Amino acid sequence: MPESRFKDLNILHREKLPVRGFFDNYGKDLQLAQYSPDEDLDTSIAESGIHRPGLAMAGYTKVYSSEQIQVVGHTEWNYLESLGPEGRKKVFDSLSVFRAPMWVVTHAQKPHDELRDMCHKLHIPLFSTTLHTYEFNKGAQRILEEYFAPHAVIHGSLVDVYGIGMLFVGDSNVGKSECVLDLVESGHRMVADDVVHISHVGNAIIGRPDPIVRHHMEIRGVGLLDIRSMFGIHAIRKVKKIEVIVELQPWQRDARYERTGLNEFDESIMGVKIPKVVLPVAPGKNLTVISEVIAMNTLMKMNGQNVAKDFNENLMQRIKAKGKCGEPAFEMDIDQWSLYE
Amino acid sequence: MIEKTLTVTNKLGIHARPAGMIVDITGPAKSDVYIVFEGTKANAKSILNVMMLAIPLGSEVRFEVDGEDEQEVVQKLEQLFHDNFNEEPN
Repeated sequence: MPESRFKDLNILHREKLPVRGFFDNYGKDLQLAQYSPDEDLDTSIAESGIHRPGLAMAGYTKVYSSEQIQVVGHTEWNYLESLGPEGRKKVFDSLSVFRAPMWVVTHAQKPHDELRDMCHKLHIPLFSTTLHTYEFNKGAQRILEEYFAPHAVIHGSLVDVYGIGMLFVGDSNVGKSECVLDLVESGHRMVADDVVHISHVGNAIIGRPDPIVRHHMEIRGVGLLDIRSMFGIHAIRKVKKIEVIVELQPWQRDARYERTGLNEFDESIMGVKIPKVVLPVAPGKNLTVISEVIAMNTLMKMNGQNVAKDFNENLMQRIKAKGKCGEPAFEMDIDQWSLYE
Repeated sequence: MIEKTLTVTNKLGIHARPAGMIVDITGPAKSDVYIVFEGTKANAKSILNVMMLAIPLGSEVRFEVDGEDEQEVVQKLEQLFHDNFNEEPN
């Protein structure tokens, strides 16, 4: 096996998530209502995760994640309620030393005046959400995880074939774009051609198109094509998990290709192992149909059906039986005795 | 043309994995290669042809190799059978 083409990826990390962008893009999903003036939205979240400031309110401020979103949940709300205005003022005076990126009050509660005063004074954006605490945390955490995930740019094309995210890689000119075009023609969905932005979220590699290239592709000799306008909205997709890698290689006489499917190969992208298939490209080979077959085979494997393994087990049984009684195999096979019609 | 008879000495016989190793040798070769077992002659470049024969341990199989690199192919096949396809011998 040659060295992995994903070994020396230039892996990037995002440092800061501007709260203004966060609110503009996800405010609706997270059902946020703004309590601060617009000009106070210029803070940035610098750390993934959600901080519940309950302990800090109770007086323990030695450890405080001031770079994270601060969430006033049911517990904190009731605690603040029990303190009365004087107590609350004290709490927020002591928390004024931390300049958090934003505060959120859940369960559609109205933020206490003392919290509003602190946020106003420190120019911290304050929001309220109608979501329950765990719902807000789950939603926000997902956004933050994806935003702060390590990411990179790779050379390849990503297509959704029967719901399987297939990443085509191979040297320039091997026919990746043509293959993608053919798949789109057959009703599959292109995510990105030639340039794929990948990020490592959880235990998966997620692929997206480049924000400038988006649903365009280049075919040598023709030029730029707009796949969305040409084939329609169903021909594209904005994001897809990479589930199988297909490496296209010019066909070589001496190269060894997998013949049985018993040996499965993986390629590691940012530490995530993804099954890989090496396909020889030669005139007369229909890459589209082969790609569809790879996708279906992947689906079958996901459903616990491994054809190569099952076939070989059956074959080994036959060989064993044959070795024992010395009879030709078809003697045992009822199918061989059915008459033709 | 060279004819060569080889004996299968690995425990499991020629199942998918050994069959794959045979076609890895015969497939890229320039010679025509046939495998004969129990009177059935099959194209040794096709894995399904080879597997169809379901050759058990202890069998004798005959290879018929014809072409410019026949010597090399026979030698490689001999070595492969001798090594029990890198599997457990009987």
